[in-house]
Amino acid sequence: MKRYAYYLSCINESMTKEVDRSIDLWQKDLGIELVKLHESTCCGGSNLDYVSPKHFALVNARNIAYAEKMGLDLVVSCNTCLMTIRTAKKKLDESPELKQEVNELLKKEGLEYHGTSEVRHLLWVLIDDVGLETIRQKVKVPLKDYRIAPFYGCHILRPSSVLGKDNPLDPSSLDLLIEALGGETIPYEHKNRCCGFHTLLVAEQESLNVAGEALEEALRLKADFIVTPCPLCHTVLDGYQAKALKQAGIKSSIPVFHLSEMVGLALGYNAKQLGIKRHIVS
Amino acid sequence: MTVSTDQHKEGKRDVTFRVFRFNPQVDSKSYFDDYTIPVERGITVLRALNYIKEHVDASVSFRAFCQAGICGSCGMRVNGISMLACTTQVWDMLAKSKEEGVIKVEPLRNLPLIKDLIVDMDPLVDKMKHYSNWVDSTMPESEMGKKEFLVSEEEFLKYDKATDCILCASCVSECSILRANKEYVSPAVLLKSYRMNVDTRDSMHDLRLAELVKDHGVWDCTHCYRCQESCVKSIPIMDAIHGIREDALESRGMKDTSGAKHAEAFMSDIEKKGKLVEATLPFRTNGVLWTMQNLLPMAVKMILKRRTPPPPPMVKPSKGIKAFRSEFREMSEHVKQDHKSHKK
Repeated sequence: MKRYAYYLSCINESMTKEVDRSIDLWQKDLGIELVKLHESTCCGGSNLDYVSPKHFALVNARNIAYAEKMGLDLVVSCNTCLMTIRTAKKKLDESPELKQEVNELLKKEGLEYHGTSEVRHLLWVLIDDVGLETIRQKVKVPLKDYRIAPFYGCHILRPSSVLGKDNPLDPSSLDLLIEALGGETIPYEHKNRCCGFHTLLVAEQESLNVAGEALEEALRLKADFIVTPCPLCHTVLDGYQAKALKQAGIKSSIPVFHLSEMVGLALGYNAKQLGIKRHIVS
Repeated sequence: MTVSTDQHKEGKRDVTFRVFRFNPQVDSKSYFDDYTIPVERGITVLRALNYIKEHVDASVSFRAFCQAGICGSCGMRVNGISMLACTTQVWDMLAKSKEEGVIKVEPLRNLPLIKDLIVDMDPLVDKMKHYSNWVDSTMPESEMGKKEFLVSEEEFLKYDKATDCILCASCVSECSILRANKEYVSPAVLLKSYRMNVDTRDSMHDLRLAELVKDHGVWDCTHCYRCQESCVKSIPIMDAIHGIREDALESRGMKDTSGAKHAEAFMSDIEKKGKLVEATLPFRTNGVLWTMQNLLPMAVKMILKRRTPPPPPMVKPSKGIKAFRSEFREMSEHVKQDHKSHKK
């Protein structure tokens, strides 16, 4: 059983609770144990970095330091948390002065940031540590009847100088996972595009246009569902779907699954157990 | 994989360029023309297009000048991605082609089309004018030419990378928000605005910033990083966008925008709970009226699905919040000190 520290994302604690719930169902089936980091705080959601760069470094040094204390890598299941914490790590590792300033404060909790724990997305752990072959062997209900549109989202791909796992122009990790689970991945041009989440409350029309385009293509390609490794993308593509499609003048709908739910389905868990019934689009 | 490896070893081969064509004077809609030409390894997409124009079809139109990645004229989409034709190797693009031996060439997106691969740059130039993308000197005219206007290395390093921009508009073409709304300021103009605003010789900082925080300005960027990823000069454009935002949050009278309020909510929530209080985020960003008008129907659906974020008292603070809060507040003191010493 390989162990990891698991970062608690704000959105998965509040609106998309089904993400952590579904991971809890199947993690042991795939030989991994995600130890929840109850000390973790909000990463800053790609906003704190410019509101206050030093607080941004502090909170994420602390998030990583707790994983380091356990001697484990930090696993994240939200793209923006992933990008944000990795950005902070890069800044800390490149600046001894910043690291020292932050460590002076972390002493209050008996913590020290070293930079030894990697910050990784759950999708990367499934591909690199569990392995596609193991996953293939564990599948109980192959997703063979499904045409699946993989929506990677931005912050698992870009900036590539911070992420670096997939080619941002032509990512493949999620496609490979879909195939290992027995599903059919479709050539989806919006796979590496944006969902519009980060401007939903600031420029709603623009965000809905962005989301509408991604939904329109998945519908046009007759996908059975969209899958995403990011709960923020899910919130837009599922929660705001009716609004986005209305704005685009399209009368239709398409289910959107979390990565963790898709894995759960193939491992034999049902929609109710996985929390799929909590989605806005059924 | 073997195909592309074999291709790579070849010194010469036939390549098909599938070129976007549209002449508004005669065509009712756009189409693609295929030109298959012999290409040697080491040839750029621009040289291939020049060959087509000279030897196959003189009517193919594109813009190009320096042929060395300096002037920024030949921005176009090659196999779907915005880049400079003059610095792009045909062999590299063949390895990424969806159809074996075919390279697709299209005009940049998000700018009006003039003909074939030529887009109209005027909307971009107009935005640069609108956001005062030039240095307006603080030096009185009477002193100009009489003494040097010194810029320290530290001051210059703030905008050193931003000056690498050659206005090729690749970032403009890839921008998610511009695609959704053509009025959006655009990444290239934000980069240029940042570059002017941190220039110590400039006098228009406040005026420029006041324009940037308005609708269609800096707060409308959705952090997709496509601009930065496609920049042909590898400029960290998002750092410039974040730099303008940081500046707006620190400047008097610039914070009364939904973007600024949204950003600051993260800071205060993290200090209080360690967690984001999502239930009240729309209210704090846009006020009660907007939230009721815009989000009420969705809130009803969310309640039915038990998806609503918990009300503030129910948001459980992170474990160890007391120690965290004291670290956070001490860091606030550090930041205050930094500001003081910076002002000195």
